[in-house]
Amino acid sequence: MSLGDLQVLLFQLGARVFAARASDLRRVAGSLLERPEDGVAETVLGSPWNPRRGLVVDVGGEERTVLVDGVLGLRVVPEPDFEALPAFAREVLPTAALTGFAMLDGIPTLVVDLPTLVREGERHRSAVPSEEESRHA
Amino acid sequence: MPERTSSGRARPRAPRGRDADSAAIAEVLRAHAEGDYARRVDVKALRDPALARVARDVNVAAEKAKERSDEVAARMEAVRLGLDQAIDAMVRLVVQGDLTGTLRLAVSDATLTPLIAGVGQVMETLKRFVKEIREAALQLSSSSAEVLAAATQNETSTSQQATAVHETTATMEELKGASHQIAENAQMVASIAEQTLSATRQGEGAIRAFMESMEKVRRNAIEVDEAVVKLSRRVERIGTVVEVIDEIADRSDLLALNAALEGAKAGEAGRGFSIVAAEMRRLAENVMESTREIKNLIGEIRESTHAAKEASDGNKRMAAEGERLGGAAMASVSGILAGAQGTSDSARVIHLATQQQRSATEQVVQSMGEIEEVTRQAQAGSRQATGAASELARLAERLASMVQRFKVD
Repeated sequence: MSLGDLQVLLFQLGARVFAARASDLRRVAGSLLERPEDGVAETVLGSPWNPRRGLVVDVGGEERTVLVDGVLGLRVVPEPDFEALPAFAREVLPTAALTGFAMLDGIPTLVVDLPTLVREGERHRSAVPSEEESRHA
Repeated sequence: MPERTSSGRARPRAPRGRDADSAAIAEVLRAHAEGDYARRVDVKALRDPALARVARDVNVAAEKAKERSDEVAARMEAVRLGLDQAIDAMVRLVVQGDLTGTLRLAVSDATLTPLIAGVGQVMETLKRFVKEIREAALQLSSSSAEVLAAATQNETSTSQQATAVHETTATMEELKGASHQIAENAQMVASIAEQTLSATRQGEGAIRAFMESMEKVRRNAIEVDEAVVKLSRRVERIGTVVEVIDEIADRSDLLALNAALEGAKAGEAGRGFSIVAAEMRRLAENVMESTREIKNLIGEIRESTHAAKEASDGNKRMAAEGERLGGAAMASVSGILAGAQGTSDSARVIHLATQQQRSATEQVVQSMGEIEEVTRQAQAGSRQATGAASELARLAERLASMVQRFKVD
């Protein structure tokens, strides 16, 4: 493993598999089905079908847990197999949480910046009033 | 020429003298003795006076005898004439058939009086006979007509009877054949009934065995049901254990994952740690894969036990239904058995009865043959009787016709 190599954690969200930098994670939590409100279920990547794992990240000094369907494991992505997101794509995509592609077994897998994903989600939720707030309004 | 006697014999020449006279007298007496009273002794020719006197007496006697003989002859002629008249009169009366008159004769000789009286009596008797014969002829004609009618009727009846007997005999022959057929069929029915009875008894035994099997099936189903319940409980316990194992494996996987993550964060220093953690995670995943397979197997076992339970319940229901149906079948077969027994008994009775009927029919056919023969003879006799009655009637008519020719009134 060289210094340019990337340690990623592969996780499944819905039907798709994403990768996240291992360094962005504090730990992997077990199922949060007992208290799903403590986790982040809805993101720009979609919602888990059966959230059995939680990816715990540090956002502004606080832990946030992104609910996913499963964790497939850790992989080392050699530097040549990582491609940063093209500029055009960064401009077009509605999120800045997708940072690039990692070629895993010949399959391009999106690498997700989990803290950015959480922050964008929280911003989105704060911008849109909840149903209860709408009813009070 | 010698002198001839009345019988044609040559009279011997008379001797001269006394002898000649005696011979002459003797010759006349012989002629008288032969009934020739016309001969006389030529007294003048006699030489002996004594013999001449004798000769005269002979001549007188001859004359008186001749007179007497002529009288007798006349009376005999009168009687003969009266008889001829009476006979002619009777013949005429009889030939003409007229018995109404009385006999009258031209001759009134006293000697004929009894004869006339006798003829009159004969006539009266004949009249009475004719009357009686006429009445008898009339009665005979009437009776013979009745006899003829009766004989004709009898012949007709006998012919009809013969025809009826013949038809009856033919019918009895057919009945005899039918009786044979019936007897054979009855025997076949008896045999089939016996076979049916035997088969029904076998069926009864089979149903009893079936009911015993159903009872065993029901008991086995209960045992299977209890075993399935036990198996289900065991499987549930296994499921619980597997859940625990799965939970442990999941936690192990999580721990291994975090350990690998920490190893990855530690960089090169945590590499060995990451390898161990990865191996632990692989083991945990293997365990979870195994538990998934066990869960799948448990699910299949649950489905199988559920199916086995349902099958067992179905077996119990089917066994109970089988027992119920077997009981109903047994009741039915018992009824069938009783019916088959009755049928077999009745078939045997019918068989015996048909055999008796066949024997009786054969006897009747034989008797009818004899009756037909007798009837045929009676018919021939009746035909002969009719012919005889016809002949009798014809004779009666002829007799009546003949009697009708006699007039008696």
